[in-house]
Amino acid sequence: MFERFTRDARQAVTAAQRAARELGHRRLGTEHLLLGIAAADDAAAATLAAGGATPERLRAILADTAPAEALSAIGIDLEEVRRRAEASFGPGALERGRGRGGNDSPRFTPEAKKALELALREALALGDDFIGTEHVLLGVLRTGDRAAVAPLERAGADPAALRAALLAARDRWRRPRRRRRGA
Amino acid sequence: MSEATRLADATTSKDPAVGLAAVAALRELLESLEALQVDNARERGWSWQQIAGALGVSKQAVHKKHGGGRRLLRRRES
Repeated sequence: MFERFTRDARQAVTAAQRAARELGHRRLGTEHLLLGIAAADDAAAATLAAGGATPERLRAILADTAPAEALSAIGIDLEEVRRRAEASFGPGALERGRGRGGNDSPRFTPEAKKALELALREALALGDDFIGTEHVLLGVLRTGDRAAVAPLERAGADPAALRAALLAARDRWRRPRRRRRGA
Repeated sequence: MSEATRLADATTSKDPAVGLAAVAALRELLESLEALQVDNARERGWSWQQIAGALGVSKQAVHKKHGGGRRLLRRRES
């Protein structure tokens, strides 16, 4: 799946994985892909930032759904629960009983997988023989997945306008170095 | 709790993304606490029947979930 991805696009996916893990999310969704793209320094990231979706803003919005933050919103202090569990049963008590270590890579949601497939389709439709972060962003937008659309809207960005802006900035898309195409 | 915090909470608690994330996190927390408490009860000599009674579930359910050598495998499961 990733053979045609540019280095930047791969880095965006890696950044998305890192972000999901840091946020304590069990799954890697289109919202994390957005954040990974926003953290790059290319046309895709610039388009997101111009629309209001800077990496800082997106990260802050996604942080509201991190386990500790979300539980706090309904009145549960996760740190206090952890403190008490450890006071009774020792360090790491809450994690010990679980089947899963904290270092596992979060798994892709079906929508996130779909976004990567759609990125390939966007590239083919545009006649590009590589998949850059711009294609991945188009793929994410194309899914219409709430997980990505909701944070974008909260950041003040309009998905349809982002798509249009991205396509209007075709001349600034970064192409892979080895296979530079003629203009 | 300050007024600002209260307002922020009121805003985010209406956001489905936050509310659903809270439920997911709560479920995960519940699973962790259950495993922890069941292990502790077993170590203290509680029978499966007693544990099931305290949890309000059937003995079969609690044994299937926590018993039968699963503890050895649990770490490797994903």
